[in-house]
Amino acid sequence: MKTNIQIRMENLWFYYHDRVILEDIHAEIEKNAITAISGPSGQGKSTFLMILNRLWENIDGAKVKGKVEIDFGKGFEDVYHESYPVHQLRRRVGMVFQTPNPLPMSIYKNIAFPLTLMGEKNQATLSHRVETALKKAFLWDEVKDRLLENAETLSGGQQQRLCIARALVPEPDILLLDEPTSSLDEASIRVIEALLLELKKSCTIILVSHYMDQIGRIADHRLVLSERKLRPAPDKARDIQNRIEK
Amino acid sequence: MTKSFPDRLLSLFSWICAMFLISSVSIILGFLILKGYKAVNLELIFSDVRPLDALLLRQRVFGGLLPAMTGTVFLIVLSMALAVPLGLASGIFLSEYASSKIKWIFSLTFDILSGIPSIVVGLFGFSITVFLHHYFNERIFPCLLISALSLSFLVLPYIIRTTQISLESLPLSLRLTAPALGATKRQNIFFVLLPSSLSGIISGIVLAMGRCAEDTAVIMLTGAVATAGIPKSIFSGFEALPFYIYYMAAEYSHPSELRKAYGAALLLLIICSALFIFSYWIKNTLKTKHFTGHNSL
Repeated sequence: MKTNIQIRMENLWFYYHDRVILEDIHAEIEKNAITAISGPSGQGKSTFLMILNRLWENIDGAKVKGKVEIDFGKGFEDVYHESYPVHQLRRRVGMVFQTPNPLPMSIYKNIAFPLTLMGEKNQATLSHRVETALKKAFLWDEVKDRLLENAETLSGGQQQRLCIARALVPEPDILLLDEPTSSLDEASIRVIEALLLELKKSCTIILVSHYMDQIGRIADHRLVLSERKLRPAPDKARDIQNRIEK
Repeated sequence: MTKSFPDRLLSLFSWICAMFLISSVSIILGFLILKGYKAVNLELIFSDVRPLDALLLRQRVFGGLLPAMTGTVFLIVLSMALAVPLGLASGIFLSEYASSKIKWIFSLTFDILSGIPSIVVGLFGFSITVFLHHYFNERIFPCLLISALSLSFLVLPYIIRTTQISLESLPLSLRLTAPALGATKRQNIFFVLLPSSLSGIISGIVLAMGRCAEDTAVIMLTGAVATAGIPKSIFSGFEALPFYIYYMAAEYSHPSELRKAYGAALLLLIICSALFIFSYWIKNTLKTKHFTGHNSL
């Protein structure tokens, strides 16, 4: 039973060049929980995430119809209202992509980048927040002596944690993760899963994942996206229970 | 694994093409160096004037190439100062802001502009000068500024196109990185997209610079003269190396004059190489400054 709702989606449709990708989506997402979305490839799971931070607006030919409301602590706000500043929204709703995407800069500059965008110039504040973010992402010990090296020299798992750290710098309320572990080895996956369970305390997490075992390990709620619709995942335990009762 | 016959044929063909290109360039360069190296000395540049006196403008150089060299350098710098900001801005507009319809119209226009022969651009500059001279101010004559303006028209399409194409070819994942972190469109362009496409943009500028350095038709009609000395202002006539080479090669009266033309060609090549190296140096400095270190962006 969801009690503490942070995101509400009603009657939402998504189009790409007149093709319907998502059809009449209704969803409620709980605060400080991990909601996992699974489903076949190419059905619009990434698109679903991009609706929440309006990132689809940077893609030619995409179009949204419907209502998305998010509660950032001051009651539900319509994030698609024309007066809602989109870059503010994206600081509150962070996103991590499937392939790690460090910018071709030093590790330090990558993490400091969101602050630079906000116009933060104070070096002491910058280095303090870079350190905090790297610690949150369990990366500080591995990179503290090489902060000025190019971020592209890190391993895949480290790059992905760098991207998570970077997404955490603006202190988002919601974190979107698009198959964050699909290109990583088992050890890196475990580190990131532990990290997400820790982050849940301060963040609402929406995770797109193909791995059922991963979803089983860390997700609080499960949704399935297929045939343009978003549905709650069939609960296996309850299915069995029902059959027995019949 | 052994390559199939068509594969081997293709790689052989590629080799032949590459060798053909490399040897053509070497032959041209070698020919120039062979014919010109004897002529390149201080006398070619400064004639009988002491170099220091000439450089400090204490004494005018008549027989030497110093005025033509300074004229060419001034011309390139001025044309680039006019063309680069305009070209970059248009390229960014086309790639990031223009709707597909506007993009189509503008691209067509720039393609037409890039296909216009330089002599026509020269005539255009010349007609503008004549018009201005008649209707605005009688003191307006063909000069350095008008040459630079015409040349910048000539090279604008290169800069616009390379800027546009290098921006457009950036992968979507890179384009979305900064916006997902809360960057505005302008921040995305200046902090991520432009620095990432710097290499492509600089090669466009280098191409344009080369074009400015070698073009003779435009400057012949818009301000280059045989003797002008070091240009005093952007409103005076000037000498330029390609014009000197053309003039000497066409009308030499003694083999020593032709040798001087070869020397001038070699000097032009050296100036161009220096400018190319300078622009790559700028590129590397910008990249390092932007992408590494503690300093804010």
